[in-house]
Amino acid sequence: MFRKTLILTLLIALLIGCAPAPTTPVVDSAPAEAPATEAVATEAPAVSAAYLVTSDGLGREVTLAAPAQRVVSLAPSVTELLFAVGAGGQVIGRDEFSDYPAEAAAIESVGGSMGEYSVEAIVALQPDLVLAAEINTPELVSQLEDLGLTVFYVNNPATIEEMYGSLENIAALTGHDATELIDSLKARVAAVDEKIAPLSARPSVFYEIDASDPAKPWSYGPGSFGDLLIARAGGFNIGSEAADAYPQLSLEQIVVANPSIIILGDSMWGVTPEAVLGREGWNTIAAVQDNQIFPIDDNLISRPGPRLVDGLEALAKILHPDIFP
Amino acid sequence: MKKPFLSSLLFLLLALVLSLAIGSVFISPAEMWKIVRGVGEEKFAFIIWNIRLPRTILIALTGAALSGSGAAYQGLFRNPLADPFLIGVASGAGLGAVMAMSIQWPYSFWGLMAIPMAAFIFALLTVFLVYLLARVGQTVPTTNLILAGVAFSSFATSLTSFLMLRSTSEVRRALGWLLGGASQAGWTAILAMLPYLVIGLGILVFFGHRLNLLQFGDEQAQHMGLNVTSTKTILLVASSLATAAAVAFSGIIGFIGLIVPHLMRLWFGADYRRLIPLSLICGAAALLLSDILARVVLAPQEIPVGIITALVGAPFFLWVLRRAKNQGYW
Repeated sequence: MFRKTLILTLLIALLIGCAPAPTTPVVDSAPAEAPATEAVATEAPAVSAAYLVTSDGLGREVTLAAPAQRVVSLAPSVTELLFAVGAGGQVIGRDEFSDYPAEAAAIESVGGSMGEYSVEAIVALQPDLVLAAEINTPELVSQLEDLGLTVFYVNNPATIEEMYGSLENIAALTGHDATELIDSLKARVAAVDEKIAPLSARPSVFYEIDASDPAKPWSYGPGSFGDLLIARAGGFNIGSEAADAYPQLSLEQIVVANPSIIILGDSMWGVTPEAVLGREGWNTIAAVQDNQIFPIDDNLISRPGPRLVDGLEALAKILHPDIFP
Repeated sequence: MKKPFLSSLLFLLLALVLSLAIGSVFISPAEMWKIVRGVGEEKFAFIIWNIRLPRTILIALTGAALSGSGAAYQGLFRNPLADPFLIGVASGAGLGAVMAMSIQWPYSFWGLMAIPMAAFIFALLTVFLVYLLARVGQTVPTTNLILAGVAFSSFATSLTSFLMLRSTSEVRRALGWLLGGASQAGWTAILAMLPYLVIGLGILVFFGHRLNLLQFGDEQAQHMGLNVTSTKTILLVASSLATAAAVAFSGIIGFIGLIVPHLMRLWFGADYRRLIPLSLICGAAALLLSDILARVVLAPQEIPVGIITALVGAPFFLWVLRRAKNQGYW
């Protein structure tokens, strides 16, 4: 027994030992703690020669010699951010899901709809910048990096305000100025905030992402943009007390919460308010009795891009039609 | 077929060339020839040498490991349903990988290695545990091994599913891994798995005669002078090492390890001295062909290769089985 354990341990040690050292040195984050002179000496020329040195969502330092002119986007939200800052013309490759704006469809796809991307298609495009997001695995990032590509990993923003940061980053990487865009987005959000603030009534909302099983539909929970936007648009999301960001709520929970409004994020898959009216067991819910069921474009809510503001306005209109005509 | 080794080596060569030549980016045969001579266009040469070559080698090694271990398992368990995942390598590796994915590793070399390492360790631990559970005194009855393996696999698989449902954000990554694919293709992966494959598969090749003896049944083999328990243990360790190392980097690619040994047995007979090396060669070729399909069917979209192996492999196998003259081949 002991001998077998020992052999097993040795084998594992061998596996660890056999893995060769990383080919590119991993840049650790904290230059503040580094013994001063040497670090400064090696980093100084890089900084002065580069157009931009910035750290990305994985804590890596990304250096560009000039604004990126040939960009591959690996996530729909990133494609939207790129087009919003005016860099749409610099996008030469996109993932399979990038369908907005309509011009994106004409850009060459590099795969991604089954979680796997064609690395050689990406390399063949000879991009000077690849933009990845949280939908992409760190394995993919490292593979692209090992092939000599410059990769910037965009963290999913947690709030609308953080999304402005994504816009600024992407504008900087592609040589654009997002100030005007961000100012106008801020003004639109402020306009909603201002009208919502004095309201005391917060209608309760059930947001349906998917109800393939109508007894246990998926919804937005705490930490998701859906939850955040519903609250900001002056509603109470009945999923906000769930355990995770994309919970499955049972019909029982929904009946007890008795939402006064139902929003159909799955309307893009063909779910209609009429279909909800006909569901068995749903007729005790206030929203169903009062026919307060509204379709919405879920892409406005789920993609952490500039259209979140459109989503906020759309939700505000549904929740408070009297003050958002 | 008269010369099984010659024909299967030619088959492998063909698969290797095709795997280098075909991908979502079109590279003409003329351009290929230029690249081989070192005068091709730089962009295409880069794709061939840095993307397709490491992936081709990784896939070939994985196919060889799975098919070789599959042949050994079928002989060891004297069971036509045996594949290299029978006693828990895959479910153990899956559990390890998904557990490692649920932790936020820093983005670094070791952070990325954590997943294959966890998969490898859990695969071996699972086999080790199953072996201990199945042991009765000094012997390890085959039935016990299978039952303990299947039970433990179900246990590990349900834990894996639970973990995946718990962390919705990592589901895509986990699913991609579980369906198999060369997501970490690169020289690192090849170098890390190579020693285990060489040791594990090397042992299997030399154990052909002993596997033949095992086919007479444990008692009979013992009478013929074979130390049955130690032979079984060595075969188990060698197969598990090779399979675990392959799975750690390529994910769980099903079916290859089941049908390739069967096809070899149908075509070339049940002598394990030939069956094992032939399974290695043709397993590599078969997985290469599956991977080519995975890359081109929906190009530039790649399909997890684990889907292709069964989707294309199963009908092909059934077709061969139906028209085989030698129905009592097993």
